[in-house]
Amino acid sequence: MSIAFTAGKYISWGVVSTSVTNLLVIALMVLVFILALVLPFPHAHEAPPAPHGEEDPS
Amino acid sequence: MSTVSTPGHRSWTGAVKGWTSRTLPPKQVLPERQPAYVASWIYVFGVLTLTALLVVVASGLVLAIGGAVWWHTSSIGHFTNSVHLWSVELFFACMVIHLWGKFWMAAWRGRRGLTWVTGVIAFVTSIATAFTGYLTQSNFDSQWISGEAKDGINSIGVGAWFNVLNPAQMLMWHIVLLPLAVGIIAVLHIVLVRNRGVVPPLGDEGKEVPR
Repeated sequence: MSIAFTAGKYISWGVVSTSVTNLLVIALMVLVFILALVLPFPHAHEAPPAPHGEEDPS
Repeated sequence: MSTVSTPGHRSWTGAVKGWTSRTLPPKQVLPERQPAYVASWIYVFGVLTLTALLVVVASGLVLAIGGAVWWHTSSIGHFTNSVHLWSVELFFACMVIHLWGKFWMAAWRGRRGLTWVTGVIAFVTSIATAFTGYLTQSNFDSQWISGEAKDGINSIGVGAWFNVLNPAQMLMWHIVLLPLAVGIIAVLHIVLVRNRGVVPPLGDEGKEVPR
């Protein structure tokens, strides 16, 4: 009985069934993904050209 | 010291050395400069995944040394167990966000097909490693999961070779075979990223640094 109480809440949508906790984790991941696309990156500026004789990046 | 070489016959060590330096020139291993388009948060999740993997492996090594009784009964064992669990959670969250970013960026462009494929294999192998981790907790949870999983494994006909009810076999898969596979694939993936360069956003192909 106690196991049933601690199993958490579930959401069912047709054949899809997921716990509220898992749904919140997925929603948080989507939020982080969107923020990663829109938030500016700190110190995002063009670096000065490489010194003479040094090959360019990567 | 005098040296000996056979003219016309390349040694296998020389061939490996040549292939290595052609595949990954020293300047491409750890570059100090990157194309400007890399300065975006979406480009951070690959290295975050790698960082989480290092914590997963380190905490897993400590758990392997301590053993099941230690991680079930002592405070530091509980803590290490939780570090292992939450670093795995972060590893998968970062890997999936990395996957989303690369999928919608069509990251297989510019001869990067093999980089994409090794990423997919790393993802699938990581899932298998995590599943065997659930089976090696050595508690009622793992007992129940293995009891349920055996039907699925038997239904695909591999239960005789991959017996989820055998904790010792699952432990070996979880702490030896699958981590080794994940490690090798991850190294291949990173070598390919360094070899081909970081993929530019769609429409910014012109800003890519020529190789």
